[in-house]
Formats: sequence, structure tokens, C-alpha cells
Amino acid sequence: MDFPKYNIRKFTPVQLITIPMIILVLALVSVGITWMATGMPVTPGIDFSGGIGVTIGTSDSPEEIKEYFAAYPIESIQGIDSGDGVSYLYLKFSTLDDTGYMALVSHVSDRYPDAKIDLIGESFGQTLQHQSALALLISFIGMAIVVFVIFRTFIPSLAVVISAFADIAMTAGAMNVLGIPLSLGTTAALLMLIGYSVDSDILLTTRVLKRKGAFDEKIVGAFRTGLIMTTTTFGAIAAMGIVSYIGQITIIWEISAVLLIGLAFDVMNTWLTNAGILKWYNTTEKGRFSSGKRGGA
Amino acid sequence: MEKNDIIELVKDWRVAALIILVVLAVVAIYPHFEDGHLTTNIQYGLDLEGGSWTQLEFQAETVTFVSDTPVDEFVTSLRERLDAEVYLVSEGMIEIRKEVPEDELRTIFTEEGATLKEYYPGIMKDTAEQAKTILEEKINSLGTKDAKVYAITGINGICRYMRIELAGVSLNEALEIVGKPGKFEIRIQTATNETEHVLWGDVVSSVQTPHMEPGGMWGVPFALSTEGAEQFQQGAITYGATKDPNSHYLEMILDGNVVYSAPLSPSLAGDLQVAPTRSMRASTGAGEEGREEARMLEIHLRAGALPVDVSIAGAGSVSSTLGAHFKLFCILAGIFALIAVAVAIFIRYREPAIVLPMIGTNFSEIIILLGIATFIQQLDLASIAGLIAVLGTGIDQLVIITDEVLHEGKVPSPNLYLKRLTRALGIIMASAATVIIAMLPLAVMDLSSLRGFAIITILGVVIGVVVTRPAYGRIIMAILSK
Repeated sequence: MDFPKYNIRKFTPVQLITIPMIILVLALVSVGITWMATGMPVTPGIDFSGGIGVTIGTSDSPEEIKEYFAAYPIESIQGIDSGDGVSYLYLKFSTLDDTGYMALVSHVSDRYPDAKIDLIGESFGQTLQHQSALALLISFIGMAIVVFVIFRTFIPSLAVVISAFADIAMTAGAMNVLGIPLSLGTTAALLMLIGYSVDSDILLTTRVLKRKGAFDEKIVGAFRTGLIMTTTTFGAIAAMGIVSYIGQITIIWEISAVLLIGLAFDVMNTWLTNAGILKWYNTTEKGRFSSGKRGGA
Repeated sequence: MEKNDIIELVKDWRVAALIILVVLAVVAIYPHFEDGHLTTNIQYGLDLEGGSWTQLEFQAETVTFVSDTPVDEFVTSLRERLDAEVYLVSEGMIEIRKEVPEDELRTIFTEEGATLKEYYPGIMKDTAEQAKTILEEKINSLGTKDAKVYAITGINGICRYMRIELAGVSLNEALEIVGKPGKFEIRIQTATNETEHVLWGDVVSSVQTPHMEPGGMWGVPFALSTEGAEQFQQGAITYGATKDPNSHYLEMILDGNVVYSAPLSPSLAGDLQVAPTRSMRASTGAGEEGREEARMLEIHLRAGALPVDVSIAGAGSVSSTLGAHFKLFCILAGIFALIAVAVAIFIRYREPAIVLPMIGTNFSEIIILLGIATFIQQLDLASIAGLIAVLGTGIDQLVIITDEVLHEGKVPSPNLYLKRLTRALGIIMASAATVIIAMLPLAVMDLSSLRGFAIITILGVVIGVVVTRPAYGRIIMAILSK
């Protein structure tokens, strides 16, 4: 297999991190705009905003469905056509009171007994929101502490944490652009990304800090291993995403989509952002670097 | 590979541990044919099995406070003022079984000469457990199998939500079961095997928690409405219970089952002869047994109604048809993910002697994970996503090991090999630690389905680091030194 040319010698650290930084700024702008509009960094789905989601497989037209649910606060109908006259539709309703919920649920099951129903009340949605935000924060801080404990040198550790942050921010921005809502599933994927994104960063940093040899060669060596790692994970998750999209398993394909986007950004942030910062660190603090810890090989 | 080499390899503890665990996992999963269908011990979640879940929120709060007036007086006046059940649960902490917003409550406390300190929506764990028992009883009495009721208690010991999972029940039916109170009735015995109706549960106006009399007798105080008290007096007089209590037992019946049976006490019989009585007490006996009976009687008197009002916080359902469809596609997703990984690895190494052990290791990791999961975690859609993600990271780390030991394309001496393997495992440990840390909050918090996702991911990472990756390191060494 021919690896793409990754010629780190040709570029200065500033050149390496320019593109990622531009994308990061754009992502933060997108996150900021969404935050002002919805109160959350990514447009929330019903898990967080509250509401009722009903998934049905039907040959009814959207007009017929709207008419059937005329008495209920239907917000949107989305769906894909499976080709043979039956389409899978996702109907979204806004929140109701308890009697309203019970009436709607029985109205749905009268006509669509096989429907999948998800109902999240407004206050429960808010509880989930707070807990998810807390989980994300604790995860990120926990990850940063682990990274600092492992490397015990400030700049390389910071580089890992920065690229993990960039991964998540860029993925959140991309979710806004692509219209993937923030749900419990996608929050889990973002958390997973915290774990995933440091995988290749740790490989890179360990190789650079603990192996002997020329800096650029060590990075190129790490790049070969890192890229194949990402390819296998990418393969596994892409397969899961495609199959679950065909089977309309929303939660799994949303998780897959977020992980795939995140992994793509991770390649960039590891080999441009993190490598760029390491290269800069290597040139400016050479003395301390070569007297640092070394592995045996 | 020579036969001796294989024996040597299996003798290595890392490899032996892997083999033993895979065998144990297969035993735990126990794949077998039942009625012509492949069946296993793997527990599936509602979204794969079909069924519904309902999450209820308690309309109540628990608060801590300091009071200038004596606590008893304060609690009594608060009870009157809010027209709600208020219980002192521990020093400086009360449970208010009615939803009152924090601001409003703060003002009321100040007016009553107390200061509200902390406000937690929800009830004490004990009350929540009681609500749980009531719901379980009710669901069982309706003959619903496979019901799970969870009281979701936070780290502070306060329970705000309760979750009910009913396999094979549609959401429509589930909401009816949860919302419908039981049918409570009091009858009076007229002859040996005959009873007459006296009143229905709707006239029971309040029920208190079990209480011990000075004599050591447990009982449940309850009150009837004015109308109910009249019905009760008339019934008692008409059927002769006031004159001869001992041959005219009172029976309390819930959904057709007798839950309590006792004669009128002589003093109550005397009172009733003259005037209706609203407040009464059903005695259950002394000691632990009497207390337990009183606890159950309280539940029955409430006629399956919960001690605290609830509202629907969330709910969901998947039909069994859709569940079966999801299950099929999950299996397909797993198979295709494994194939995708195999292809990617093969393109990179082009060497079956490396690719096959890698895939084999990865596959055995999944088997062990499923084996452990049969004991602790049911598989739902989110945890299957976790499982496949683990498959991806698992292969990642086998790549790190392979590349680390094959550094510069040469197979190193055993000594150097072990050194490099240790370093590779160091990288793996580090990234495993971060994944575990990242997932830990989700495993601890109760964000409904995401808990399974986190637990499966953490479990997968731990199995990988402790068992499968060291074993792979040993296997690949034996293969490469050929």
C-alpha cells in the first residue's frame, strides 16, 4: 500500500498548524452561533429539548399523516424512501402534558401498531442536558489529567489536550453543518472521541519522546502506524454506519457518523496540530528534549 | 509451526488465560438450539426484544433547613400550610410530598421562622423503594411478566425518577398499567363464608405511614371522608358488626384479594353505635412481623396509588417486529465491521500469518466480552455500538504492538522483543486509561441507555489490556521468530 506522502521536513511548525487552526476557528464560530440560537453547542434533538419522536414504516403520504395527527402539535416529518412504496418516517411532536402524551400514544398505536415511540418531557430533557454537559466536562478534565500524568512534560501533554479539544470542537461544528442533532447517542460518540483522539496522539508523543533517532523520521514512522490504526477503526465504524443506515437504526448510525467525522479530524489534528507543536517544541527546547527519557530500542 | 512450538505457546500463561476465558465465555453464552431456533444466554434490551419503558418523575422535594421554632411545631404548621404530607426524615431534613417550586418554598419557610438550605427535587430512598414495591405488586397482579422497576437514586441519596421496563408490552398498555389505580373495597362478614359490600377505596381520604402504639402494636392509621364514615357506620350497624364484632370480621380487598381481615375493636364498635368515625387505625400485630405487615397494609390501603404523585418524564417503545429487525441489522453490522477490519489489515500487512492471529484475537475479545455481559449487562442498541467501537480500537492496538516489535522491518532477538512489547503495552495502557476515564462519568451517571454503552466500552478496553493484547504479543512473537 502506498502511503500518502507525509513530508514533515518541508514545513515549519506554523505552516503545519495553520490549516487546523483556521478550521478550528470556523468550527467555534458555528458552535457559538448555534449556542446563541438554541442554548446548546449543537442543535439539540428531543433527548435534550424534550418532545416526542415517532418512527413509522408506512405507505401513507406526509399529507395523510399530517391530517391524521391534526389535533397534535406535529413539528416536522422527515424520512427516507425505501423504494418499494414503504417509507420510514420520523415524526416529531413538541411536548404535551401527561394526558396529552397518553392520548397521542394511543392515537399513534391505533393506526401504526409497530411504531417506535420516544418521549422526553421538557424537564427530563433538561436533566439529561445538565448531566451530559457534566459528563463531557468530567471526561475531558479526566483525560487531561491522565495525559499529564503519563508524559510529565508540559508542552507535549498540552499538545495532546489541544488536539483532543480541536477534534471535539470541529466535530461539533461539522454536526451543525450536516444537521446531525445532539442526542444521547451523539453525546456518547463525542465522549468516545475523547478516548479515541488521544490514541494516536499518545502513539506519536511516545515515539517522539521515548525513541532514539532523528525527529522527522520518528514522526514519519509513527505516521505509518497511526494511519493504519485509523484506517482499521474507520473501516469498522464505516461498516457499522452503512449497515445501520440501511436498517434505519438511528442511534447507531448517528454514533457512527459522529465517530467517522471525529476520526477524520483526528488524523489532521494528530499529524498537523500535535506534530506541529511537537516540532516547535523540539526545535526550541532541544537541550531538554535529548536529555529526556528514552526507550531502549 | 512445529507441534512442540504450539504446546510451548499454550503453556505460556498469557495465551493459556486467553484460551480459558474464551472457553468460559462460550459456556456462559451457551449457544444452543431450542425449538429449532438458535438461543443464547445473552440478555437483550427492550429496543431489541420489543417492549416499553416509562420514566416517572416524583412530584415532591426533599429539603434541608434550620428552624428557630421547635422542629415538631414547624413540621406540623408546614403540613397544614402546604396541605401536603410532610415528614421529618432526619435531623434538619424533610420530605415534602407535593411539588412546590423552590422560590415559593423558600418564602414559606421564612414566614414560618425557618431557613431553607438545600432543595432537591425528589424523595428519600425509602419512600422510593415503597413506590417501587407498589408498582411491582400492581404489575405482577396484572400478570405482566418480565417487568423491571428501578428507583434511580442519585449520589446524595435522593430519588427523583423511577423507571419501569416492560418487555413485550406496548407503551399504550404500559401507561394504562402505570396510571390506573387498583380497586380497593371494605366488606363485612355476615355469615361464615359470606360478606357484604360496605365501601369503595375512593372514600379513603388519607393513609399514614405505619405507626407503633405504646403497647408495641404496629398499625396503620387512615381516615375516611365524611360520606365514607357514614357508609362505614351504617354498614357496621346493619350487618351487626357493632353488636358482635368477633363474628363479623372486616375484610379489606384489593383487586379481588383479601389483604386484611380483623374484627372491630370493642371501643370502636361502641363509638360507631353512636356516631360515624372518620379516623381509624388498622392494627397488624407486634414485633418485626407486625411492622412488615403494616408496611404492606399501607400500600394496599393506598389501593396501588403511589405515596407521591408522579408525572411522565419520558417514555419509549419498540414493537417486537421492529426489535427483531434491529437485531438482524446489528448482527450484520458486527459481521461487516469484522470484514472491514480484516480487509484493512490485510492490505497493510499482506501476510496471513499476521492477519489471522490479529482477527482471531479480536474475535476472541468480542466473545469474552459477550460472555461477561451475560452476567452484568443487557445488550441494547447503544451497547452494541459500543461493542463494535471496541472491535475498532482493539485492532488499533494490535497494530501498535505489531509495528512496535517489527520496528525497522527486522524481527528482533527475544530480549529486545520483550522490551519493545513492554513499550507497546505502555502506549496501550495509556490510551486505555484515557478511554476508561472518558467513559467513567457515563457509567456512573444514569443517562438511560448510555450506561450500557459506557460499561461495554470500559469492559472491552479492560479485557483487551489485561488479557487479549498480552496474549497476542506472545503469539505474534512465536509466529515471527519462524
